[in-house]
Amino acid sequence: MAVREVLTYPHPLLKQICTPAQPEEIEPVVTDLLDTMNSFDHCVGLAAPQIGVPLRIAVVDITGHPKAKDPHGLMVLINPKVTDRSEGSKVSREGCLSLPDLTANVRRPRRATVQFGDREVEAKGFEARCILHEIDHLDGILFLDRVASITDDLFRRQNYG
Amino acid sequence: MNLAVTAIGRDRPGIVAGITGALLDFGGNVDDSQMSILHGQFAVMLIVSVPDDADLEAVSARLEAAGQELGLGGISVTEVSGLDRGEGPTHVLTVYGPDRAGIVHDVAVLLAEHGVNITDLRTKKTGTEASPLYTMMVEVVLPADGIGDALSRLSGEKGLEAHLAELETEVI
Repeated sequence: MAVREVLTYPHPLLKQICTPAQPEEIEPVVTDLLDTMNSFDHCVGLAAPQIGVPLRIAVVDITGHPKAKDPHGLMVLINPKVTDRSEGSKVSREGCLSLPDLTANVRRPRRATVQFGDREVEAKGFEARCILHEIDHLDGILFLDRVASITDDLFRRQNYG
Repeated sequence: MNLAVTAIGRDRPGIVAGITGALLDFGGNVDDSQMSILHGQFAVMLIVSVPDDADLEAVSARLEAAGQELGLGGISVTEVSGLDRGEGPTHVLTVYGPDRAGIVHDVAVLLAEHGVNITDLRTKKTGTEASPLYTMMVEVVLPADGIGDALSRLSGEKGLEAHLAELETEVI
């Protein structure tokens, strides 16, 4: 077990599409992901490429977060697949350990259903946002690739209507 | 060496291209910048790094020439030092009400009285001439002990609607 360094952009691994994890590869990566996630005070998720492993593995746990509503506890996402996402979406400000000092408004579905291992989880709100953020990492997508507006939706909107 | 470059002029395509082209002639690198339309005028503010041996007068003259071509009312170039990212905002304050002179001042005075630092401020006048609406959005660094009755004073004495919200950033 080890707390690993969290890579920051422009490290090339963060823009790479990760490959499916094989059974024998999983355990040490999950251990390091959890050790690294738990070494931060309020970290709610981490993806394998962030610790230098280009495999489709991520962990999410929003338990105890002020925005956690009916959370599913720790989810170890091995080769996760998003099987459904709500049409309704919400813009919220996101930050990421791999892009320090930056935040941006990102639009994401309010609900998402995710399949991993033999589990299928329907996540809502903040938990759905976290899962989708981590799965994005597995596809080399950072929140900066999903910016919905610069800062103030209120002032921008009037330009369009 | 860091320069602060500011300019404003009637909006048209090509302003940013013209200014950055002039800066690039001197090896200028745009660091932080904000550029936006204010009531049909395009306003630019840039912090630029240039090589230490850059000739400030030459940069200024080149930008001035570019500004004239672009119809800008004058470009200001000033050397700045001691750049500091400072503390990030913790809250966003939204204030709105019927337009009148002095709203920004009223809000700013109250914030200053409480030692609140403003990190971003935008205002907009909308509505009709008969019923102009003024909206103000201010990002602030709130001190730990809050701002007391400042908000109720804005709504009470000043007749404005004021709402303070924590800036929620989810580091995922």
